Amino acid sequence: MDFTQVKALLENLCSKGGVSGCENDAADEAAKLLGEFMPVTRDALGNVIGKKGTGDGIILDAHIDRIGLVVTAVKEGGFLKVAKAGGSDIRVLTGAKVTVHGKEDIFGIITSTPPHLAKDKDDKKAPSFDEISIDTGLSREEAEKLVSPGDRVTVRGSFLNLIGSRIASPCVDDRAGVAAILRCLQLLEGKETCPLEVMFSAQEETGGSGAMTGAFNFESGRAIGVDVTFATAPGVSEEKYGSLGDGALVGYAPSLDYEMSGELMSIAESKGIKAKPEVMGGRTGTNCDEIQTARGGIKTALLSIPIRNMHTCVEVCDLADIEAVASLMAEYVIERSKENA
Amino acid sequence: MLEMIKTLCSLSGISGREDEVRKYIISKIEGFCEYKIDNLGNIIAYKKGKNPAKNKVLIDAHMDEVGFIVTGVDRSGLVKFANVGGVDTKVFLGRSVTIGKNRILGVFGIKPIHLIDKDKEDVIPSSDELYIDIGASSRKEALEAVSPGDDICFEKDFIEFGDGFICSKAIDDRAGCAIMIDLIRSELEYDCVFSFSVQEEIGTRGAAASAFTAAPDYAIVVETTTAADICGTQDEDRVCVCGEGGAVSFMDRSTVYNPDLYRRALEIAREKGIKAQTKTRVAGGNDAGAIHKSRGGVKVVTVSVPTRYLHSPGCVCKYEDIISSRELIKALAEDMAQC
Repeated sequence: MDFTQVKALLENLCSKGGVSGCENDAADEAAKLLGEFMPVTRDALGNVIGKKGTGDGIILDAHIDRIGLVVTAVKEGGFLKVAKAGGSDIRVLTGAKVTVHGKEDIFGIITSTPPHLAKDKDDKKAPSFDEISIDTGLSREEAEKLVSPGDRVTVRGSFLNLIGSRIASPCVDDRAGVAAILRCLQLLEGKETCPLEVMFSAQEETGGSGAMTGAFNFESGRAIGVDVTFATAPGVSEEKYGSLGDGALVGYAPSLDYEMSGELMSIAESKGIKAKPEVMGGRTGTNCDEIQTARGGIKTALLSIPIRNMHTCVEVCDLADIEAVASLMAEYVIERSKENA
Repeated sequence: MLEMIKTLCSLSGISGREDEVRKYIISKIEGFCEYKIDNLGNIIAYKKGKNPAKNKVLIDAHMDEVGFIVTGVDRSGLVKFANVGGVDTKVFLGRSVTIGKNRILGVFGIKPIHLIDKDKEDVIPSSDELYIDIGASSRKEALEAVSPGDDICFEKDFIEFGDGFICSKAIDDRAGCAIMIDLIRSELEYDCVFSFSVQEEIGTRGAAASAFTAAPDYAIVVETTTAADICGTQDEDRVCVCGEGGAVSFMDRSTVYNPDLYRRALEIAREKGIKAQTKTRVAGGNDAGAIHKSRGGVKVVTVSVPTRYLHSPGCVCKYEDIISSRELIKALAEDMAQC
């Protein structure tokens, strides 16, 4: 199968910054891409909102923010102290190369203490956030000119083409979801559809405020959220989670609309799109939790893309799974549009 | 010299697989000296100076870098590996590598933090749990791309940043190789022998053989050493400091250095106005460990480029320290040749 389109979208989106609360360049790019299909606006919290048609239709959501770090202080020797922005994993941060999004983007590397200086510390333990800093190679004066507390930091990583249709990159979470929605809109081009409301939401990684407020302004009664989920790997059980190449993982959870989940599964079957149920016991831990209870309530479904190494800069996914999610979403929209007509 | 360092750092050369590095170095020194490649793969280069030397001086740097080697592939197509040289798991989790002749891309995977118990969130996985994901979906598919015994290097990514700093894999010890190439390509006062040595990172094995062959009276080891001049570290705990010139050792884990030579090195630096500093901690080891015990014994001095985050995919040093180390080594070699 050819995944050129989905790969181009993903590679472009993954090259952008956009740490929670400062979605800037990532949101700008996503808005530009979405603008090819419908008029786009930005709301108070920075959500990218696109609307095609008016009235009851379908909401498609994926979050545009990514995890990162936030600068808390500039120290002697141009070292920066940092805190988490979203669920950054300290185990993969020592020695990581980063971009500090200051007045201009500057390079930095997260310090690591050489083993011979580690004091009374189990060498099987990662340092705490208090113990690490970012080495900018600048003097304090130079650093202070370029960087201020509050500036965001992203971990550098390239877009790596692995074997077959698998890739590794930072922020596949959730640029894969954004790419899936844009790919879905490509597939729907030239087709008459019901009204569509698309949201590339801000601040998912810091608690979902973007989706919560963005959904308030929607008119539709149904929503599909697209996010990533865990893919099987050592330590990640095959029984509980999906695997790379499984296709679209259709969420089943008490907080999701049971009927919509079923419709998605049966459409996947009838259209020959790879899909598999993914079952959760309560809430989903995605924007769907916020969207479902917006205003007077919205029927919500979740489509997930399995990835490995979530919240590292080598998140691995299979492009085939993003394509499957896009196709399934497009077929669902087509089905609903027939019923609406 | 910066371009040369950049190229040298981009080459793949774990211990015992220094071929690419050797080939490049030969292309750079060809015509500027006589050289031979010994049975282990060391390049031993004889450089004629303007004058014959009273004492035979050997200058050594190692070609190999730390990395990994493929040990096998598991059922699901994930690559298992062993470390080559001392690499701390903490600095490579979540990083990317290239494998074997075709430089197949791979990444070190890790169980997502979301699925780890709260009280174990800072625990680094044990070596048994580690693997490299090359994107294969089966053992068969993986074995079409990689084979047991293939070398694994950190992905190349050379960056100039900050106030004259560079960041790359393998600065240890391609910085030393670059200094030696530059000296060979320049005009020297006295005859001198150079060894581009193999297998330093697994126990200074190459230098042991090349020092025997070169049979020097004096030797200078050109290395990189830990600069711990980072946020929160003070005074002598910093070991050495970026921007203060080559670090001269009085003692480390492998060598008790000749005290006269150690003092002389710092004296020469002062006389000539070359930046240099003392390595203020007894730590680490290098080819001097093998060279000082060669044959009937060799007087050795080590000059190291201060380097932060050694043995990681992102070693950091200051370019000006490479230049001042080169100056000091040149002056030292001249002094040794006639003393």
